[in-house]
Amino acid sequence: MRKNKLLLLASSLGVLLLLIVAAVQENWLKPWRQVQAAGRIDQSAIDVQLRQITNAKLGIGDRCVSCHVAMAPGEQAVKGSLMFAPHKPVVHDPAEYGCTTCHSGQGSATEKDDAHGTVHFWPAPMIPLRHAQAGCGSCHVALGTPGRVAFDRARATFDRLDCRACHRVDGSGGTIRPDGGGMEGPDLSRVGIAGYDADWYAKHSAKSEKAAAGPWKTSFAQTGAGDLELLRAYLATRTAAPALVEAKSTFLSFGCLGCHRVGGVGGDEGPDLTRAGEKDPGQADFTHVPEGHRLDGWIAEHFRSPAAVTAGSQMPPVAASEKDIDRLTMFVLSLRRGDLPGVYTPVDRMKAARFGQREFATDGATLFGAFCSGCHGPEGQGRQAPGGAAFPAIANPDFQSIVSDKFLTETVRQGRPGRRMPGWAKEGGLRPEEIARVVEHLRSLSGTEPAAEDSWSVAIDPLEGVEIYDANCSGCHGPKGQGGKGPALANRAFLDLVSDKYLFETVRRGRRGTAMAGFEEGSPTRRALAKDEMEAVVAYVRAWQGR
Amino acid sequence: MSTPALEELKSNLRAAPKRILDTAFRSGKPSTDRTRSTFIFGNVFLHLHSTRVHRWTLRWSTTLGLGLATTAAFLITLITGVLLMFYYKPYPDAAYQSIKDIHFVVPTGRFMRNIHRWAANVMVVAVILHMARAFYTASYRKPREFNWLIGMGLLATTLGLSFTGYLLPWDQLAYWAITIGANIAQSPREVTDAIGITDWFDPGGAQRFLLLGSDTLGPEALIRFYLLHVMILPLALVALMSVHFWRIRKDGGLARPAGADERLPDPAGAMYPVFTQAPAKTYSLAAIVKGRTAAVGQGPENTVPSMPHLFYAELGVFMLTTLVCLALALVSDAPLKELANPNVPENPAKAPWYFLGLQELVSFSAFVGGIGIPMIVLAGLGLIPYLDREDSGTGEWFGGSGGPGVVKQALVVGFGAALAIETFAIRFGWIREWYLAAPQLLITILNPGTLLAAAYGIYSVWLVKRHRSARAGALGLFTCFLCGFLVLTAIGTYFRGPNWVFYWSPSDWPRH
Repeated sequence: MRKNKLLLLASSLGVLLLLIVAAVQENWLKPWRQVQAAGRIDQSAIDVQLRQITNAKLGIGDRCVSCHVAMAPGEQAVKGSLMFAPHKPVVHDPAEYGCTTCHSGQGSATEKDDAHGTVHFWPAPMIPLRHAQAGCGSCHVALGTPGRVAFDRARATFDRLDCRACHRVDGSGGTIRPDGGGMEGPDLSRVGIAGYDADWYAKHSAKSEKAAAGPWKTSFAQTGAGDLELLRAYLATRTAAPALVEAKSTFLSFGCLGCHRVGGVGGDEGPDLTRAGEKDPGQADFTHVPEGHRLDGWIAEHFRSPAAVTAGSQMPPVAASEKDIDRLTMFVLSLRRGDLPGVYTPVDRMKAARFGQREFATDGATLFGAFCSGCHGPEGQGRQAPGGAAFPAIANPDFQSIVSDKFLTETVRQGRPGRRMPGWAKEGGLRPEEIARVVEHLRSLSGTEPAAEDSWSVAIDPLEGVEIYDANCSGCHGPKGQGGKGPALANRAFLDLVSDKYLFETVRRGRRGTAMAGFEEGSPTRRALAKDEMEAVVAYVRAWQGR
Repeated sequence: MSTPALEELKSNLRAAPKRILDTAFRSGKPSTDRTRSTFIFGNVFLHLHSTRVHRWTLRWSTTLGLGLATTAAFLITLITGVLLMFYYKPYPDAAYQSIKDIHFVVPTGRFMRNIHRWAANVMVVAVILHMARAFYTASYRKPREFNWLIGMGLLATTLGLSFTGYLLPWDQLAYWAITIGANIAQSPREVTDAIGITDWFDPGGAQRFLLLGSDTLGPEALIRFYLLHVMILPLALVALMSVHFWRIRKDGGLARPAGADERLPDPAGAMYPVFTQAPAKTYSLAAIVKGRTAAVGQGPENTVPSMPHLFYAELGVFMLTTLVCLALALVSDAPLKELANPNVPENPAKAPWYFLGLQELVSFSAFVGGIGIPMIVLAGLGLIPYLDREDSGTGEWFGGSGGPGVVKQALVVGFGAALAIETFAIRFGWIREWYLAAPQLLITILNPGTLLAAAYGIYSVWLVKRHRSARAGALGLFTCFLCGFLVLTAIGTYFRGPNWVFYWSPSDWPRH
């Protein structure tokens, strides 16, 4: 019995000890308790208690404010630790929207690593602070964002016209001047949402004329309709998320939508990116990501070398500066679609989802940058991925001067069946007026006029062209015209669209800047073709149309 | 002014505390051996004990306290489980969120959940070890045969409790483990499919549907598992446990060797008097009590009052078990992965650890691992007390024909056969890898699981012949079964990676 008594005594003491340890852990060692212990309001300690922001409609219960106390509603005055920085003033009151709605992370957690979501088994880590505006994408879509070139031009106009002399925008401008002036105009950071007086220019002009001195005289000058249009475009993008808009306009300049869908619009070669920012890092392979286990690092590395990060990826590496890769990463991080209750669905998202308003600007340059430049190059100069077939240089003047607008429009509409070029007159593609603007933009890239419709046709027996074709053309275009290094010629959609004149002129003059040489003049490696020989080739090619 | 009635009221009031105490004990305070005995006998909770206990029973080496440890672990899970129920919400997603709340903000919630989880695992381990103890000391013999069967019921209920609790957090781990478990329940389909009768006779599908309440693992399954976990199985367990304890008393206490009385040393001086008073209880009831009871036929010479001797031992084991559970709970958190997502299967999806041996067998043949082997094992275990009708070695560790020698040999055979067959299957694959078109029935009949079972069976039959004793065969077979369980469980737990491929270490697993 003595042994049993000792066993009972020893294990009871052990249990008591462990219970004390657990009690100390529970009541003193909890990280948020230790953080709050430092909290002071006017020298007096704050209540150490669990703090949280809840919003049943948004489905959140965010305990982040248990450590970030000064971000809790009504507790901005708390001081005593670096962790007690109050939240920057934002449109969405954290007291209502909580923290994870924008920043992501694990709201129910009360320990740093768990809360920031940098642990195993939490699929939604916090968005890194430098990309914080990506969080806007959880609810919002930036409507009508222009491509990078258009965006830079609009912003440059805003700066050149010295609007910042009086107006503050995105935290700069409207400086206080030594003479006591400054901040004369309203802050323009949110006018893209809030709107502004459409008559502003007339009113500015009138005031400027009346003024004798000061900024109305020195900083405002009358300007033309072109500048005003650029200013309008720039102001439309001021939605309090300047970095995100810039990131998006960068995204719209790399032709990503040619292969990927975002919000239901785009190509189908690559995966749909609508929710790419919600990727679970636990499901991603970080073996070839040098920057460690972070989603932003994974995305950035995926832009640099897609096939290394995702085995079997067909995506070509994105030729972008590190700065642009950072912007692209931010935009991808912003691609999230939280399921929102009706009252919280923002107007912009409603407009995009229900009323078909575009997320991108629909001018030709932006559309070309967003949908076409991935293959055809930002200037339409064509592109060739190593080992792949060349993508045509569609801005080439030699090409443009011999094609009709109908050819271009129909090619964009129907694509080239059997080839990589998809047809864009599809669900989730481009609208007729948008395609027309793309064609218009193509014309502006080359500076040529559309070729007139031409009914001239060759009248030669196609068989006469067989040998000439085999000797001169089949090397690139394939013995049966199926294409190779050069484009496929025996393609119904192509032949239906082109005129004999187009074929003939292409053979005659070639296409400068590409491998297609003109056959009117010979070269050291091959002889020139006579006019009837070229016509025979055209007839031979044309004959494939009937098959 | 005072009247007699008021005086009486006053004195009654003064005496009330003492009287409450007195009446609580029915037979007065347990201060003498006799009152202690009547106290145990008259107490609804304690009367499952016998009032006196043999000194052999109190030796640590007799039981190692394993049965008590199992009971203690159950009581701990019961208390912590009830506490967890205050916060747990048995509905998908809400369940997960409530576990997060328990983990992060409920005061001591994380600690309680950890204790609950560890006590559950301690219980599973202890119940298996307890069964091994009962087997190796040949305690299942007459008149305790049926208590062995009740013990098997308790083993099954314990595993059921642990398994149903596994789903409740509704995280990826739980979701896919239970998916695997439910598919194991469906394994008779392998045979019904192979002979083409699944369309009209589908016990596997019916079993799975009964378990999940739906074709997929969803809210219906969660509420089923919850109800089983917090209500049906605990009640079943308490009922079985009561019978189990009651039968110990009624079957004459724990089994002990025939010569136990001679082999016990003289009682130590500090011990309560072994026998100071003639028992007040008459044994007239003994006529209707079957078998040799503690007092009938043997005299009470080597018994001591359960109170306090047995109680110290019981409390000691209880506190030790608590200590182990608390210590484990402090150093290791119960797992909680991502929210369950039916679209993202875990790879590998693993059942709870005690079913990983079965899952390893299922990977060769679903029917054999899911139904065949478990049925053979259960039937074999249940038959042990009815096939071994010998007396020698009862109450002795590794007692009976063959003794420790057979156990040592069986350890070699058991581990050797399991490792050899697994090594072969892992190194060279199995029939399907050699002949893609092999009929499924052939694989169901001929696979590592059935071969291993056959090897163990042949070995134990050989033992029976060699030692001319069923006990020797049983010793061999049970030892082999434990070895096989250990090997298969270890392989399933540590060495199986994505797609159930063998890996030396999880760090060799291919990335997604």
